[in-house]
Amino acid sequence: MIRWLLTRIATGSPWARYGLLLAGLLLAGSLPWFVYPPVAMDIACWALFAMSLDLLLGYTGLLSFGHAAFWGGSAYVTGVVAIRSGLPFPVAVLAGTAAAMLLAVPIGYLATRRTGIYFAMVTLAFAQMLYFVANQWRDLTGGENGLQGVPRFLPGVDLSDPFYFYYAGLPMVLAGIWVAWRIVHSPFGHVLVAVRDNPARARALGYPVVRYKVTVFVLSAGLAGLAGGVFAISHGFASLEDVYWTTSGQVVMISILGGIGTLWGSVLGAILVVRLQDALAMSGFDGIGIVTGSIFVAVILLFRHGLWGTTRDLLASARTRLDAGRLAGSPHTERPHELAADGQVVQPQR
Amino acid sequence: MLIRAKATTALLAACGLAVGGCGGGGPQSSSERITNGKVVLAVLNDQSGVYADLSGKNSVEAVKLAVADYQKKYGDAAVAKTIEVVSADHQNKPDIANNKAQELYDRQRADVILDVPTSSAALAVATQAAAKKRLFIAVSPATTALTGKACNKYTFHYAYDTWMLANGTGRTVTQQGAREWYIVYPDYAFGQDMEKSFTQAIQSAGGHVIAADPTPFPNDNFSTFLIKATTLKPKPQVLGTMQAGGDLVNLVKQYNQFRLREQGITLSTGLMFITDIHSLGPDAFAGTQFTDAWYWNFDERNRQWADRFTAATGTRPSFAHAANYSAALQYLEAVQRAGTDDADAVVTAMEGYTFDDVFARHAAIRAADHRVTHDVYLAEVKPKADVTRDWDYEKIVQTIPADRAFRPVAESAAAGCTLG
Repeated sequence: MIRWLLTRIATGSPWARYGLLLAGLLLAGSLPWFVYPPVAMDIACWALFAMSLDLLLGYTGLLSFGHAAFWGGSAYVTGVVAIRSGLPFPVAVLAGTAAAMLLAVPIGYLATRRTGIYFAMVTLAFAQMLYFVANQWRDLTGGENGLQGVPRFLPGVDLSDPFYFYYAGLPMVLAGIWVAWRIVHSPFGHVLVAVRDNPARARALGYPVVRYKVTVFVLSAGLAGLAGGVFAISHGFASLEDVYWTTSGQVVMISILGGIGTLWGSVLGAILVVRLQDALAMSGFDGIGIVTGSIFVAVILLFRHGLWGTTRDLLASARTRLDAGRLAGSPHTERPHELAADGQVVQPQR
Repeated sequence: MLIRAKATTALLAACGLAVGGCGGGGPQSSSERITNGKVVLAVLNDQSGVYADLSGKNSVEAVKLAVADYQKKYGDAAVAKTIEVVSADHQNKPDIANNKAQELYDRQRADVILDVPTSSAALAVATQAAAKKRLFIAVSPATTALTGKACNKYTFHYAYDTWMLANGTGRTVTQQGAREWYIVYPDYAFGQDMEKSFTQAIQSAGGHVIAADPTPFPNDNFSTFLIKATTLKPKPQVLGTMQAGGDLVNLVKQYNQFRLREQGITLSTGLMFITDIHSLGPDAFAGTQFTDAWYWNFDERNRQWADRFTAATGTRPSFAHAANYSAALQYLEAVQRAGTDDADAVVTAMEGYTFDDVFARHAAIRAADHRVTHDVYLAEVKPKADVTRDWDYEKIVQTIPADRAFRPVAESAAAGCTLG
């Protein structure tokens, strides 16, 4: 049975893909039955946040070390809109998302002039600037106190119980995940991969590389903003922690743990990190950083392509063997085109 | 094993939710006098950072002493038969405090959250208390916002606040002749509130604040502000520091290194705990006047309790430890009077209650703003030569009676508190 299933998955059978999708949706839908609902919401938000980073890191080869600016910036805007306008929470979250994308235009325009470590440093610098703005603009953000008492308003529904809020917030996160998936599997997404692998050649083929980079940067910021907005509503709180560099660091860690250039790895990474932090905090253990750090080191050393990436590599080698077996019988079997592009070994650029 | 147990609990809870329909919250039958069969007291405070000494894990011990006293006093007649004490570390961060408070109420089924130093964190917990309709007795945060615009039915403010400190220290020091002040304060809710309260108290006593500067929180290096103090015109007579805990210790160390006292700038501390004096030694502070909510060596009753505390923890109690003991005890007494741990009934039992215990003398719980009033003390740090035994650092100069020590109800109402 399992062998059959694995074979289907390995050969990229569409039924297996729908099966996996269904399993994923079931997992997302049943999560708050197994874990504490606010933690379930955290997992969903961090998964989307990590995915947004993966668009840049995995698919475009740009390591943003300032993504907290969009997550936290949106959290503040969402909070301010929800508190001051009293509009339903999805409107506030969308306002936060739009703000994050607007913010990303100048940052992306300047940062994408550089690559590698310089790109990371420029994004970090902008994020820290936003941190100090949030710290000083006390009337709006509450400074060190944070923005407290963000309401969770949706007409006709009582969302005070986090269990119910999860189901109100989840569709927004799933929509964000769908957008990320569409981006990756569109012609635009394929150009991004080309830009990542060989920017000079992409330019030679006539693609405006910088414009592609800025566009994906803004889209990525929008998804990070969506996740940050839902996160702020879920906690009823936006704080300086949301725009601090440690948040940028954590999302990079989640993304790499799950496997960059895979999208779904971000979900695995988020489940692992958020659940682990929660379990450690509940057990009263102080050294959360040591444990997550050790796991990070172990994953980097043992599973170069992250949890999802390594699993996929194993499946890919199984598929090669199957294909080899089948090729012997029927010489005309084609490998699915999409998987060939998707299943590449990811090598982020310097 | 633990995970499986948790999953089972979650599953059961989820089934309960499904059966209960869209009611929200946990199932509560009115015949049940004690929800979940036990009373859960949660201590939420800083257990590893700058405020860990002045309250921290030892406050959990203090609360356990209160539980023991309650059980000894009522025995089989106790309404709360099973009492559990849990604790969590909020690292002085409001976002962590917000999450922890939510978890304590939801997952650990806490009936009351105690302590919560750091005003910004306390404000977050007060918001959660109002949302979850469960009690929060704020023991060691100082901001008057808790009895002002953030006040709510389920939040009580227990040991002290910035108004009480400013009224005690700011007014007295100014009246003694130190008219020109330079204030430095940590840049978050507590410091901002302290700065405001002190400026008011100083001005109403005829003094003048030359400058007031915010500092990062927490902070190690105060040299910028100490140098600035010497260059201000006119020269300040007093450096008023609103720092607390580890920050205060750092600032005073540097104040002594920069020899400001020799340059005619005396030190006045907004908030000081005996643990701060202990960590630097009394000579670093000698002569400094400050307002104290409680002192262990004040009288025989305090000393006896302090000895019990020392036996349990190996250190002398700060006023926050004693206040946590008192708050836990008064909460349990209120449960006893109400005959249930239902939050609304306990709030009713607490409002307007007057009492006298080892921490709170001539105490009353005001119904109008949930401020707990009690006698407080103007204290002076003894020079080392006068210290006769360990931790005997303070001389009580004057007792400020309960009815004059705290902000009047009218001012709380003016600040936005609209209870009852």
